[in-house]
Amino acid sequence: MIEAIMKKESALNKMNEKTYLIERSKSLYQDAFERLLKDKAAVAAAVVVFFYSVIAILSSMGIIAADWNTEVGPSYSPPSASFWLGTDIFGRDVFTKIIHGTQVAMSVGLFTSLIAIPVGVILGAISGYYGGLVDELIVWFYTTISSIPSIMLIISISLIMGKGLVAVYVALGTTSWVSLCRLIRGEVMKHKNRDYVQAAQALGGSKLRQLFKHILPNVTHIVIINASLQFQIAIKSEVILSFLGIGVQSQPSWGTMIDDAKLELVGRGVWWQLVGATIAMFIIVLAFNILGDALRDALDPKLKGKN
Amino acid sequence: MSLLLDVKNLNIEFHTQENIVKAVNNVSFSIKEGQTIGLVGESGSGKSVTSLACMRLIPTPPGKITSGEILFQGEDLLKKSQEEMRKIRGNDISMIFQEPMTSLNPVFKVGEQISEALMLHKAMTKKQAWARTIELLDQVGIPNPSQKAHAYPHEMSGGQKQRVMIAMAISCEPKLLIADEPTTALDVTIQKQVLELMFKLQEEYKMGMLFITHDLGVIADIADEVVVMYRSEIMERNLTQEIFKKPTHPYTKGLLACRPSLDKNPKRLLTVSDFMTEQGAEKEINKELLHPYEKSFSFDEEKNPVLLEVKDLKTYFPIKGGLFGQTIADVKAVDGVSFQLRKGKTLGLVGESGCGKTTLGRSILRLVEPTQGSVIYDGIDITSLDAPAMREMRSRMQIIFQDPYSSLNPRMTIAETLLEPMDIHGIGENKKQKLDKAKWLMNKVGLNANQLNRYPHEFSGGQRQRISIARALTLNPEFIICDESVSALDVSVQAQVLNLLLDLQEEFGLTYIFISHDLSVVNFISDEVGVMNAGKIVEMNNADEVYHRPQQEYTRSLLEAIPKGIPNEILF
Amino acid sequence: MNNLIYFIRRFLYLIPVLLGVCLIIFFLFNIVVGDPTPLLLGKNATIEQMETLREELGLNRALYLQYFDIVKSAFTLDFGRSWATKQQISQMIINGVVPTLSMTLPAFFLSTFISLIVAIVVAFYRGGKVDFVVRAACIAGMSIPSLSYILFFQYYLAYQEGLFPIQGYDYGFPHFIPFIILPALIWIILSIGPDVRFFRTVILDELYQDYVRTAKAKGLSQVNILFKHVLRNSLIPVITYVVIQLPYLILGAILLENFFSIPGIGSMILSALNSNDFPVLKSLAVITSLALIIFSLLTDFLYTLVDPRVKLS
Repeated sequence: MIEAIMKKESALNKMNEKTYLIERSKSLYQDAFERLLKDKAAVAAAVVVFFYSVIAILSSMGIIAADWNTEVGPSYSPPSASFWLGTDIFGRDVFTKIIHGTQVAMSVGLFTSLIAIPVGVILGAISGYYGGLVDELIVWFYTTISSIPSIMLIISISLIMGKGLVAVYVALGTTSWVSLCRLIRGEVMKHKNRDYVQAAQALGGSKLRQLFKHILPNVTHIVIINASLQFQIAIKSEVILSFLGIGVQSQPSWGTMIDDAKLELVGRGVWWQLVGATIAMFIIVLAFNILGDALRDALDPKLKGKN
Repeated sequence: MSLLLDVKNLNIEFHTQENIVKAVNNVSFSIKEGQTIGLVGESGSGKSVTSLACMRLIPTPPGKITSGEILFQGEDLLKKSQEEMRKIRGNDISMIFQEPMTSLNPVFKVGEQISEALMLHKAMTKKQAWARTIELLDQVGIPNPSQKAHAYPHEMSGGQKQRVMIAMAISCEPKLLIADEPTTALDVTIQKQVLELMFKLQEEYKMGMLFITHDLGVIADIADEVVVMYRSEIMERNLTQEIFKKPTHPYTKGLLACRPSLDKNPKRLLTVSDFMTEQGAEKEINKELLHPYEKSFSFDEEKNPVLLEVKDLKTYFPIKGGLFGQTIADVKAVDGVSFQLRKGKTLGLVGESGCGKTTLGRSILRLVEPTQGSVIYDGIDITSLDAPAMREMRSRMQIIFQDPYSSLNPRMTIAETLLEPMDIHGIGENKKQKLDKAKWLMNKVGLNANQLNRYPHEFSGGQRQRISIARALTLNPEFIICDESVSALDVSVQAQVLNLLLDLQEEFGLTYIFISHDLSVVNFISDEVGVMNAGKIVEMNNADEVYHRPQQEYTRSLLEAIPKGIPNEILF
Repeated sequence: MNNLIYFIRRFLYLIPVLLGVCLIIFFLFNIVVGDPTPLLLGKNATIEQMETLREELGLNRALYLQYFDIVKSAFTLDFGRSWATKQQISQMIINGVVPTLSMTLPAFFLSTFISLIVAIVVAFYRGGKVDFVVRAACIAGMSIPSLSYILFFQYYLAYQEGLFPIQGYDYGFPHFIPFIILPALIWIILSIGPDVRFFRTVILDELYQDYVRTAKAKGLSQVNILFKHVLRNSLIPVITYVVIQLPYLILGAILLENFFSIPGIGSMILSALNSNDFPVLKSLAVITSLALIIFSLLTDFLYTLVDPRVKLS
């Protein structure tokens, strides 16, 4: 009946395309982005992250800091005009090593997130949406994983996989999906009962459509906030793994540089490797911390218009 | 009588990141000792902010009182220090809030929360305060007060919690009681009891009272004078009788007229915009709109065949418990409901919260799987359909939800929202055709088709509800369930949406089930009315019969609880 | 009655989780690694040597029996002997727990207490300068790697200034005290940032609840509202946060114990890691998981005490 009336009316007054100048408007994400731009600290943090990423990419392509392994001066020379941050035991430039270390730090953050996010989101979404036995299985699985202290899990995994970066990625990835999975599950369960998802069901939308088109876009902000948190935790964890001797091998990382300092400080008073790597790390971790807070504020799940 | 509270030229602003919002603009009113003033307005009118200002409880920042005076017994509250204000709060002026569920501290016993104020302001010992608390609980009609004083808030019903709030507010025998929508969250029957209680206590303690509400009907019996607020300003102030008999301001007239009455109503409800232009100027009312409309309850077997038949429908929710999480009992949300609905007609379902009306609506559409019984739609038993066939069927039957804020996906534009159902069901040959239909529907529900690319958060509650209606219509359904679809809206917006639903029904021959807790709204829109209680339909008949000759005790108690308020004669 | 049933159910749920923990440990050490003998004997071992060692360590037994061994150890707490030191592992753990707890317990309670106080003060002055400075300090403090803190403090305070012993440990009260002060101090500095931030958020969340407005309307003072009404409600998330950290105290702090030569569990983990001492790592994983599971049950129980709303079902 509605169709018939519409046909009749449309025939009567042929719709004039020109009268419909469709107004553009901002999505919630655009809106959040604009709010983020107003936050000076957040913008500075984003610039830092971008800067570090560029350095990491350039370094991994061998464009900068490729010569980190060459002896450029005497062993343990203190910071000077020619060596801004001095040299290490082999006479290598510490500053160049720090630049090269950026690559390791950023890749640890990136690959850990690349493992943790898909696993966390997929398991969390399935668990929250379908419920029942699948849910119980997944909950059992992550309760079990989180019942093993993550440091024990990380140690075990890297012991088994052997030393090196890949072991670090996998070890940190397997332990960090749990918190995301738990969050996503809770959030999906909440949205599942919202009217707009019920409406999608009432309109004949399949379960997959409800989940992918309606629920997931409404929980992605959690993934973004969580990723920024995970990134900095991963960077910090790399130091501990280096200390445990299960981290990066045969290339410099901030972790190995800080770890080296335990032999350099006492007696020799060589502080520049420690301070240089600590500052390099402090800046990027601080940037992620600030960015994470700003993202949480900007993407506040209390959706606009409610108040 | 001397003046108790005298608000003079009050101005309040709220500073947000983007701009400054004037929440209260040059508001003046006064309350004499023992007098009740009703402060009426719709959401965002500034009424709650005004009342919080009298307690100096406006969150600062973002709020700021920019100028004016609030004289309480001759002293300006705005000049007092926080220390002095604390001695006044709860002691001389006390307040009751809208949400009894969250307004009490969940981890303290209700008795502790009441005696706290007594110990603070009246210098009572713990023992004295506790004894007085029990007296107060008795006075506000809590059964078994000495025992209930030990209860935690979550162990009480909503009505009881509000009684506890009242006991707390009157505990120090304040001179002024501010009540901010105290009954809005309650069912009608409970609302009636709470209102009676407040009225009784006010007489007893000779308190002045500022009663804030969006519902003129609620204060008709209780207020001496009414102050009407709209867009941060006072529109009209007069004796209650006068306001109802001859409202002078067009906004007040609109507010009175847009509420459907239990008696006669015009064919379409009048709205504020019939009385007043957008700029606030008075409009000449079209007399034809005022004619009372006689509904016809007859039907034509040819034109109105039975479209929907529900037979002994039951929906139970299991309660899990025991050692292994087995089902130990059932919540019988819908417990054996049967009825028939004819094409082009509207069935209204009324009942109080928890009566099962929402579950019934969702069970009919199989959004919740019914436990037993059948739903026969146009000859097909839909409870036996498999998933693909059911999805197919969904294009013929639609639903409009209550909360306009959660019923639209906040991440999708209106165009995406309207096109999605057409994509699912393959309606329209190409994108342009679908978009044309979306535009046409936007116009049909009274929105501008230019706004298709906008996101839900840019629309008001009423507009969102129109979008929800448009979305339901995209699939050309014959049957729509409106689940409390106008309950979350302001009365003037509610009238517009009700009119829209009636227009669409007339034009497209739609069949409705209209679910609501509001008896007058159901009366206005329905041909037949079913009264629900505890999962069952206790009474069902045509609207006139149910409202004028109720057969069941329960129906009668519901009808008696409706705030009278609006003497409809004045409109006709 | 309902609570009792709930706790029995919760207790029963420990079994599948514990079996799962054992399964993961079994999977990692007994399946993925497969044969640890080359690791233990070095590259020059003969096939015969490896075979005898496998037999000796019970690695030739059927897989399900090996899994069963792990499960059994979780219930009997008998973990067998270390590959490296040949000592009883349960005895090694008992020996290690005392030095570990003598450092972690005081450090943990002090840091929780200080953080809570700071968070309350900050919440009281929310939005002001104090709030801003503390928040900035927390976020900056959290951004420095823990190893840098340890290296700096040990070098500066102990080595250069000589305020504390550089490293070492002495058993028995009060002899151990001088040795734990510096590591405990570093622990406190490390945990104060995240703790204050968490507690502050929890308290602020409560401050915007409706019942706070009611309390204000009653005429209660800010202090009364914060300490009586708000704090009592904030306790619920705080308790979870605190209690769930307790099992980690057994695990100790691998870095701190190593740097300050405290002969605790943390040092044990590190030496087991360096000598590929699987039984020790496995048993530590089992025992700490066991502690975590039991403490999460304890949190649930504490809920019922603090929050009258929690009807366990």
